[in-house]
Amino acid sequence: MIDERRLKILTEGAKYDVSCSSSGSKRKNTGGIGNGYVAGCCHSFTPDGRCISLLKILMSNDCAYNCKYCPNRLGADVPRVSATPEEIAELTIDFYKRNYIEGLFLSSAVEKSPNYTMERLVRTVKLLRTQYRFHGYIHLKGIPRADGELVREAAKYADRMSYNIEFPSERSLKLLAPQKSKESLLLPMKKLAEDSLLFREEKRKGLFLPAGQTTQMIVGASPETDGQIVRLTQSLYRAMGLKRVYYSSYVPVVHDSLLPDLPVGQLREHRLYQADWLLRFYGFTAEEIAPENENLPLDLDPKCAWALRNMQYFPVEVNRAPLEVLLRVPGIGGRSAQKILEARKYTKLNFEHLKKMRVVLKRARHFITANGKFYGAETVTAVRGALTAGEQMQNAVQLSLFSDPQTALSALTGEL
Amino acid sequence: MIYLTDGTKEGFLTAFLLAYRDGEALIASSQTQLSLGQRAVFVAPDPVRAKKAEQRLLEFDKNCMEELFYLLRSGRPDREQIAFRYFRLLAESKRPVRGMLAEDGVRDAAELIRTVTQEIHRMHGFVRFMESASGALYAPLLPDNDIVDLLVPHFRARLREYPFVLHDVKRKKAAVYDGENVFLAPLERAEVALSADEQGWRELWRRYYRSVNIPERERLKQMKGYMPVRYWKFMPEFSSPDDPVAP
Repeated sequence: MIDERRLKILTEGAKYDVSCSSSGSKRKNTGGIGNGYVAGCCHSFTPDGRCISLLKILMSNDCAYNCKYCPNRLGADVPRVSATPEEIAELTIDFYKRNYIEGLFLSSAVEKSPNYTMERLVRTVKLLRTQYRFHGYIHLKGIPRADGELVREAAKYADRMSYNIEFPSERSLKLLAPQKSKESLLLPMKKLAEDSLLFREEKRKGLFLPAGQTTQMIVGASPETDGQIVRLTQSLYRAMGLKRVYYSSYVPVVHDSLLPDLPVGQLREHRLYQADWLLRFYGFTAEEIAPENENLPLDLDPKCAWALRNMQYFPVEVNRAPLEVLLRVPGIGGRSAQKILEARKYTKLNFEHLKKMRVVLKRARHFITANGKFYGAETVTAVRGALTAGEQMQNAVQLSLFSDPQTALSALTGEL
Repeated sequence: MIYLTDGTKEGFLTAFLLAYRDGEALIASSQTQLSLGQRAVFVAPDPVRAKKAEQRLLEFDKNCMEELFYLLRSGRPDREQIAFRYFRLLAESKRPVRGMLAEDGVRDAAELIRTVTQEIHRMHGFVRFMESASGALYAPLLPDNDIVDLLVPHFRARLREYPFVLHDVKRKKAAVYDGENVFLAPLERAEVALSADEQGWRELWRRYYRSVNIPERERLKQMKGYMPVRYWKFMPEFSSPDDPVAP
């Protein structure tokens, strides 16, 4: 049994990794313990509002790299600890058995060398899959510059792998993570995507990353705009076939002259996730969402902002508009759009119906008619005013909830 | 007239046959509190009549019995009445009505079904087993709806080599998997002798829970929205329900 001290250090080192999803794997229990849960499953929630699905932990925090933003960088004065593959495997099984977790998310500092580290990660997943006969979810972090053979071996046992691209541009990566390079992160991702495709085409036995790949980047530690970040995200989905791109707002745990001293508001991160959903589920392109050299507005969600720039398409009639048009209406999400499509087969929908069906009309009413009736504001200026007024109230609430210096500052200066 | 049933599917369908032409009718299960002056009649389940009603309803909508199944699992006292309004509409329309979301009766039924299926999904995550000295796993739980047996297929597929007991403490019954078979049994209280390591793993879990949190970003409202406080009682990560961040 691993001791509490190491568990604490290795968890705290892993907790800023955002990915927590356990979805996408249909792995069966063929004897032993565990299986996949395609929809994913949250087992607990921490007071910061995040879900615990996987046991998120580092194999080691003893790092040979010196990335400027990282609390575990080579030059930092912190206690260094490691766990053994046996300790991690045992911990995973005993937590899983009690239904504390849905699986393991294993990452590591670069201990000694990339290959040494990757080997230990592979040894741990192999131990779990073969000796413990564990079929639950495993997300494994790829170590940059590790041998291609080791990576391929890992992919045979893991459900998902991820290389964090860390920063939205090569320049920032060079500056802040000097031992990593664009190639050391993107090439293995690309190779895994190709191998995965080949594996499926040849219908080989077994599984090869059934839940695909994801990545993560830090937002706000470097100067890239949201427009650039959204474009990069789109190309990662298109070229690498990634399942998710995660963003993490920069939290200054380390002081360095190259890094900002203030954390990034979580509102910016939130807006980026909204933009990411528009890309993945709502049929938007990056070019529609934000001009390349601009940030997303903070006072409006990105769909509202797009709609205000494109008022010529609105209002749309909810009894006639096709799904892809309904999805572009601010305030109408996937579930509401489906409900509308279903319900209008039987009757002409009016606003009273929509309200009862719990379609949120606060924003939508400016962009739709229901059975010919329109209840929105008459001019674009008035619509903008109505939409931002709501958002500002919300931000004021968020301020007291988050106590986040950036939002606090912007509220004080009235810059929202 | 209020038609009181025994809470079973058969009871409901028997009452349905009697009630559905009566515009003023209500259906409730016999645990319901009646107010003064309401006229009530108890309807004993009648297999023949129930079968007849079921066949008629299935002719209109071949998937409707699954909906009835979930509706009657709800913990809400007006579940029979919500089901009654939905099935009466189905009988009147003589075709599937689940898409008619502009109708109150359809929407209420859909929302009630969702609370039941959503709780099943939540419980897949929030159930906490403790390991007994014999190696069998035991989990007490307090679900809003009568779903304890509906959790079994998930855990059985996952834990196939581990016997387990899911104990609905409120309804005083348990779903038991003995490593081979599953059965439901009444269970008032359970005395569980814990395994030697149980306390140690619990302490590690508590340590993990506290370490993975980012205290600078407290969002308790969101946390409680996703995981309502009433489910915390048997989770080892909380020492008491009022103190989510106790050290």
